[in-house]
Amino acid sequence: MKCLTNNPAARRFYRRFLGTFVLYALILPLTTLVFVHYHPTGPLAYPLAVLPAIPMLGLLAIFGLYLAEEKDEFQRTVGVQSMLCGIGGTLTVTSVWGFLEDYVHIRHLDPIFTITIFWVFLGLSIPVLLARYK
Amino acid sequence: MDRKTNNPANRNYHIRLFAVMALYALALIATSQGFDLFHLTGALAYLLALLPALPVVATIAVIGLYLAEQKDEFLRGLLIESMLWGVGATLALTTVWGSLQKFAHIRGLDLFLVYPICCVFVYLARFIVKLRYR
Repeated sequence: MKCLTNNPAARRFYRRFLGTFVLYALILPLTTLVFVHYHPTGPLAYPLAVLPAIPMLGLLAIFGLYLAEEKDEFQRTVGVQSMLCGIGGTLTVTSVWGFLEDYVHIRHLDPIFTITIFWVFLGLSIPVLLARYK
Repeated sequence: MDRKTNNPANRNYHIRLFAVMALYALALIATSQGFDLFHLTGALAYLLALLPALPVVATIAVIGLYLAEQKDEFLRGLLIESMLWGVGATLALTTVWGSLQKFAHIRGLDLFLVYPICCVFVYLARFIVKLRYR
């Protein structure tokens, strides 16, 4: 995906991405505040805890929508390959960290960070993939 | 990946996967025994802890090689689509689990389980995607 593009699928992707991210930025502090001040437990705590995960998963769905809507074969291929690089990097980090955690007892990595790791690897792979095709 | 074909990419994939899995079994035994018998610490402990992670990471490379070598567009597309669904499901699970762990304090997810979880989802997705193309 090129920035500042006139591609309608990419434009829709950026718009949806921004909207969902704003939603996440609102939900996360709200959930944290509720847990800090009211200490909810039981059946109320679970759906409330899952609430910030919903926009994060929405970002994945938005990327999926972009891949489905993108008419440019090349851009779609780069998108798919970047996702594969993202998951390769994520599984590498989680496997290595998991074994280090198990055997040398390093600090536990919260699984919520796996999606962040995924986006970092995906983002890093895009310029590399684009450079390869130049 | 269909086992019942003479496709060279499939054959190479299965040979490499078998070799890497054999290495994984050996590395896991060596690491467990090393930690049980010698109570290692420091740099040596880190290196030994990383040992079983290396074949796991190598399986990602084996899948990447399969995708690069596979000449059959349909089989390649099938695996890529299954992987994308598998990635989505894995990240959904880890994100929701992470949120529940952070806010509702459920049991922590061992990170080295992320990779097998992803494999299970990819396998299930492959089954569903294949049914769709029948």
